[in-house]
Amino acid sequence: MNLLRNYRIEKRSDIGVPAQVLSALVALAVALLVTAILVTVAGGDWKDAFVSLYGGAFGDKGAILESLVRSTPLILTGLAAAIAFRGKIWNIGAEGQFFAGAIGSYWAYLTFEGLPTVLLWMLIFVAGCITGGLFGLLAGVLKAYFNVDEIITTVMTNYIVTYMLALILSGPWKEPGSVYRHTPQVPDYIRLPILASGSRLNLGFLLALLAALLFYYIINKTPLGFEIRALGSNPVASKFKGISVSRTVIMTLLISGAVAGLSGAIELFGSQYRIRMDLSTGYGFTGIIVALLGGLNPLAIIPAGIFFGGLINGSIRMQIITKVPTALISAVQAIILLFLLASQAITRYRIRRIRDVE
Amino acid sequence: MEMKNTSAQIEKENVDYVIQTKGLSKRFLNVVAIDNISVEIRKGEIHCFLGENGAGKTTLSNCLYGYYQPDEGQILYKGRPVNISSPSVAIDLGIGMVHQHFILIEPLTVVENIVIGTEPMGLLPRLDQAEDKIKSLCEIYGIDLPLRAKIWQLSVGQQQWVEILKALYVGVELLILDEPTAVLTPQESERLFDVLQQMKEKDLSIIFITHKLKEVMKVSEKVTILRKGEKVDMVNTTDVTRKDLAHMMVGREVVFRVEKDEIARGKSILEIQNLHVANDMRQEALLGIDLTLYENEILGIAGVAGNGQKELFEALIGVRNVDHGKVILDGETITNHSPRQIMARGIGHVPEDRIKMGLIPDFSVAENLILGHHRNPPVKKGISIDARYIQQFAQECVSSFDIMTPSVNQKTKYLSGGNQQKVILARELKQQPRIILTNQPTRGLDVGVMEYVHRQLLQKRKEGSAILLFSEDLDEIINLSDRIAVLFKGQIMGIFTSDKFSLDEIGLLMAGVKD
Repeated sequence: MNLLRNYRIEKRSDIGVPAQVLSALVALAVALLVTAILVTVAGGDWKDAFVSLYGGAFGDKGAILESLVRSTPLILTGLAAAIAFRGKIWNIGAEGQFFAGAIGSYWAYLTFEGLPTVLLWMLIFVAGCITGGLFGLLAGVLKAYFNVDEIITTVMTNYIVTYMLALILSGPWKEPGSVYRHTPQVPDYIRLPILASGSRLNLGFLLALLAALLFYYIINKTPLGFEIRALGSNPVASKFKGISVSRTVIMTLLISGAVAGLSGAIELFGSQYRIRMDLSTGYGFTGIIVALLGGLNPLAIIPAGIFFGGLINGSIRMQIITKVPTALISAVQAIILLFLLASQAITRYRIRRIRDVE
Repeated sequence: MEMKNTSAQIEKENVDYVIQTKGLSKRFLNVVAIDNISVEIRKGEIHCFLGENGAGKTTLSNCLYGYYQPDEGQILYKGRPVNISSPSVAIDLGIGMVHQHFILIEPLTVVENIVIGTEPMGLLPRLDQAEDKIKSLCEIYGIDLPLRAKIWQLSVGQQQWVEILKALYVGVELLILDEPTAVLTPQESERLFDVLQQMKEKDLSIIFITHKLKEVMKVSEKVTILRKGEKVDMVNTTDVTRKDLAHMMVGREVVFRVEKDEIARGKSILEIQNLHVANDMRQEALLGIDLTLYENEILGIAGVAGNGQKELFEALIGVRNVDHGKVILDGETITNHSPRQIMARGIGHVPEDRIKMGLIPDFSVAENLILGHHRNPPVKKGISIDARYIQQFAQECVSSFDIMTPSVNQKTKYLSGGNQQKVILARELKQQPRIILTNQPTRGLDVGVMEYVHRQLLQKRKEGSAILLFSEDLDEIINLSDRIAVLFKGQIMGIFTSDKFSLDEIGLLMAGVKD
């Protein structure tokens, strides 16, 4: 007891960028250690699992390119989460907005089919942004004018969109003659161009990188970004100095939803070519972890997204070679998130010894 | 010399003292907050710590309460050396403290707040016994409080009673009160003083932190005067006059007063007509205010905190809704315009709480200096913020307002309070406002910065701005204002011009007494 009382926990005054990076890396290392224990307990060989996981993710050119394909939706949903989180606005609805974007872009394709391809692509992306953005806008308006918590509305709209999609895929858009609930594949000409032959790496990945750069510019260089950051740090002072809180909240959620929607459109036309119920395997939620791992910094979200894309991609080889199920990766993601949050909390404090009374 | 003397006394009279400190020092990042302080407080004594803002009163008390660990020196509790490593150790010893900012849980009742944390409660706590105990405490000390009310339903003064009861409930023998009257009306202060006398008669010791001389004279037997982290002296209250105390506290003969040029006021710019505004609890806080602001004039608003100052200030800058009445600028109604629109009309403001209302603490000095103007040229260039311009603008502000910061890119939260206030002043005054609204512009600042702020305001007055000055510091109001309006319970009790200031009359009106 006395021993404990000689120490106390203090808040650190400042945390530099190196400390933040270090804290993320330590969290990753500890998370991998726990994963190794998990694999061992489940009767697997952790060394084999990690080797095949790494090999499947980044072991050769083909693996790397496929990991980049997998990372595309994660970078985009990571950006969607991060732009809202910078304003301390908690958009947990990227999953629903992703599907909404896919639905909207598919609708645009059906409606405007026959227009020149480049124009059609533009319409598809815009439609994806708009439909995803609408769901963000809904949460924004409810928060701004009726003080409804955005966490609740965005989580709930996930369900609305998912069930709406199930309805659409059971009837109107269902592939004729198929037993599965999915749309027909989109034709070749409208698919996003492949960047490296023999792989699935497509234009979508470049668009994701472009989105990250755009995010960086908006958040750091424009008045809107200034206002989002101000709001995230001190809403009262922001209001006192003439920043419209409701307008900023609405704009932020609109943009966040639009980016998530774009992610859905890109995944549909760049990688999967048809809408299924599992067009997203939780990308909207994994995006939150990616955003946090990247420290809400758009440029750091790119490697964070590639890391998670690699995990998902590598887990397939891991399952084939070592019989460790791919489901492990969901656990790994959660473990990473937990240790990340813990290490961020720890970084913010330090333990100090109190001098004894002589 | 004096030290030795006191130590000898301590040896002799050890038993009498509840708490003593010997050579206590505390530094924050090389800034000395208190230096070599020795105090002693007897059993059943009301002891004032008197000093200006930043004199070290609160730091000293926080060391006694275990909130800070002294870097040097020793604390003796009832003659025994102790290591008060945390507030829970202090509470175990019998030391309680009521801070300026209360630590209460708003949705819970008075009883729940008092009991929480004091004993294991299980899943379904039985509060009857606790309530009986609290009731009897209230009777003993003459405290009148609705025990089953939720905290948010109570006035700030009542919330302070809850904090005091929390300490009494666990049976403290030494109670530290940090500027307790700052949130009280004169009447509530009187009640507090009565209760403190009751406590003293029950052999409790009380440390009463204040910078108000009147209170020291009224309530205490002993007073320790602190200045710039050092102990000036410890005296019996009966042996000194207010003037003596003032001298010791400030270190100079006369209370500071900036020179004010005689300037005839200009034309009227802002007219406030029959203004009705509600507070956060949706009760009427302003019951029809009429005021006119003139160019080249400082209009001071005197009053005890919580009589509508906050609501009037916030209504004028556009963040609080006006229910009824008008605000007219240059003959044009601007009632309920947005803060942005009002700012664009040339109305600048310095709010009462720097960190909460005036600054984005995580932003750099440069970013804070353009806050609110970030959508206007020359800050905005094309669609983006001109980084080069804001650096250059910040350099200019830092040098012309003498802001001490290692760089304009330093986060503002790491600046001292005085420099943070200068950042706000620079931001507001650089826009050449025609009207300046200031609420407690010098609260918590040391004398040097205070003087600086006063000079800046007087300079703007000379240049033609109309200034509305809210302050709880009556001296500040009297020194700066050309006219003084007294605000009480949401009404203007009277307006005085500078040749007819009468402190007595203003004081009476502040307490709501009208002949």
